[in-house]
Amino acid sequence: MTSRPGSKIQIISRLSVLVGTLSLVLIILPVCISPADAAGKPDQYELLAEGTRLIQIGELDKALAIFKQVNPPAPGEDAGVFVRARIEAAKILFSSKDYGESARMCNDILARLPDNLEAKNLLTQIEAAQTPEWLRFLKDMQTYLPTLVKASGMTLILVLITMLVSPIGGLFIALGRISRLRALSSFFWCYIWMFRGTPLLLQLFFIYYGLPPLGITLSPFSAALIGLGLNYSAYLAEIMRGAIESIDAGQMESAKAIGMTHWQAMRRIIIPQTYKRLVPPVGNEFIALIKDTALVSTIAMVELMRSADQIFNATFNIFILIQAAIIYLLMTSIFTVCFKRLEDRLGVYENR
Amino acid sequence: MIELKDVVKRFGDLVAVDQVSLTIEKGEKIVIIGPSGSGKTTLLRIINFLEKMDAGKILLKGKEVGYRTNKKGRLVLDKPEMICRLRSEIGMVFQHFHLFPHMTALENVMEGPLTVKKEKRENARAVALDLLGKVGLLDKQDVYPAFLSGGQKQRVAIARALAMRPMIMLFDEPTSALDPELVGEVLTTIHTLAEEGMTMLIVTHQMGFARELADRVIFMDNGRFIFEGHPEDLFSERMNNPRIKAFLAKVL
Repeated sequence: MTSRPGSKIQIISRLSVLVGTLSLVLIILPVCISPADAAGKPDQYELLAEGTRLIQIGELDKALAIFKQVNPPAPGEDAGVFVRARIEAAKILFSSKDYGESARMCNDILARLPDNLEAKNLLTQIEAAQTPEWLRFLKDMQTYLPTLVKASGMTLILVLITMLVSPIGGLFIALGRISRLRALSSFFWCYIWMFRGTPLLLQLFFIYYGLPPLGITLSPFSAALIGLGLNYSAYLAEIMRGAIESIDAGQMESAKAIGMTHWQAMRRIIIPQTYKRLVPPVGNEFIALIKDTALVSTIAMVELMRSADQIFNATFNIFILIQAAIIYLLMTSIFTVCFKRLEDRLGVYENR
Repeated sequence: MIELKDVVKRFGDLVAVDQVSLTIEKGEKIVIIGPSGSGKTTLLRIINFLEKMDAGKILLKGKEVGYRTNKKGRLVLDKPEMICRLRSEIGMVFQHFHLFPHMTALENVMEGPLTVKKEKRENARAVALDLLGKVGLLDKQDVYPAFLSGGQKQRVAIARALAMRPMIMLFDEPTSALDPELVGEVLTTIHTLAEEGMTMLIVTHQMGFARELADRVIFMDNGRFIFEGHPEDLFSERMNNPRIKAFLAKVL
């Protein structure tokens, strides 16, 4: 036993080394790990907070640098701070038009959270921002063309029905105007005076908004047709009266000389001779009519103008209006050509 | 057949026709001459009711026609249907033709029978073709008036009037608007008609034609007849009316 005290001391010293090492490890480990762990977490939050503060005071570059310092989360760790920081960074990059870097930030997020909505939306915005403006406009035009074409169909229907109705009304009024019956002539004079002397827009408003209180409620379509029909009848009546009165008085006399009544002479001799003379001014009126149908958009009638206006308000794409203009031009051009042809055909009996 | 009694027509203060009386027998050819503004054309238009007379009477086959007296004692034209019927029996040829420009020559001639007499299309067409043949324009049947010469137009106009089968033809200076070389063809056409016995009243400045064709010549001046008689008497040396002599000296 006497020979063992040395070994006793040895054991004690070894134990102390072990304890010392252990305690050292125990002390150092928390220093190595805990500070990185416990002090690291608040650091990330602080970075985020600092970045947000910098954004608020407009220091975008500094904020960006701060946000970039936020590290990706370890697997299984909460990614909230990281995502927030990356999105903010991506937004800053987007606003400074660095689309490539911004997209990289979004993809960073999506690599970890593939369903992150905010990142996805930003990516779509980046894509839209990167497509040239004209291409976007073209896409819009393509998208809305069917809507506009459909709306032009309504415009065309309004034009065609008015074109059928107003010449009949116009002739009726014109004959009334040149009648020798004073009352009839005065009545139609008043009619023409009223409808030519007030804006078509006002007439449409009156028919659509003013008649319901009087017990007559009309759909926008019938109100539009009645307004256009009454207005254009008045204009055509004056053109027709002028054309009838421009026919040589000798024609009426020679028709009467072979025994025709006044109306036979009108129907067989005078009115047919006005056709050719009527075509240019009436053609003018009908071209004006195509454009005037745009006014009915004000009484809730969806036609080309209103449709174009609605799309324009949704897209702020000026090309939609240009597209509508082209459709209007197309319609007026076709009409112009048709009326020229008609004029030539009606003039076959003239020696020029 | 047709009788005018004391016909008066005023245009404002101007008396265009001043108490004129005239009797036209069936088959008679009467030529009216006189200076312009003497009332010749107005008289013709009164006979065709294109002009309303202010006083007088028009008798057809002894029956007063075309006018009635209203409550105020004024002379007014009869109902339009009545006037139209009378006109359809009186052919009129105008100085400026007044063909219907939107109809071919054939359609011009067919128009009266079709619209006024409501004849069948085939009948009207046959009659019109016959008449166009008679005025020598069968080959122009499908031509529009704008493509015809003045003489051709006037011949179509004559055919158009004849298509109504009128009992009398009124010619209002039918050659005055024509180029000189085209006058002949129209006069020949009227001559042919005369030979067929058509009753005619012609206002003209063609003195040779008047002399040749007329059964009776009337010289009208200031709305009155100042000569009415045989053409030979009018053109003879013995004619001593200074106004007529002055006029003839100018036109012959």
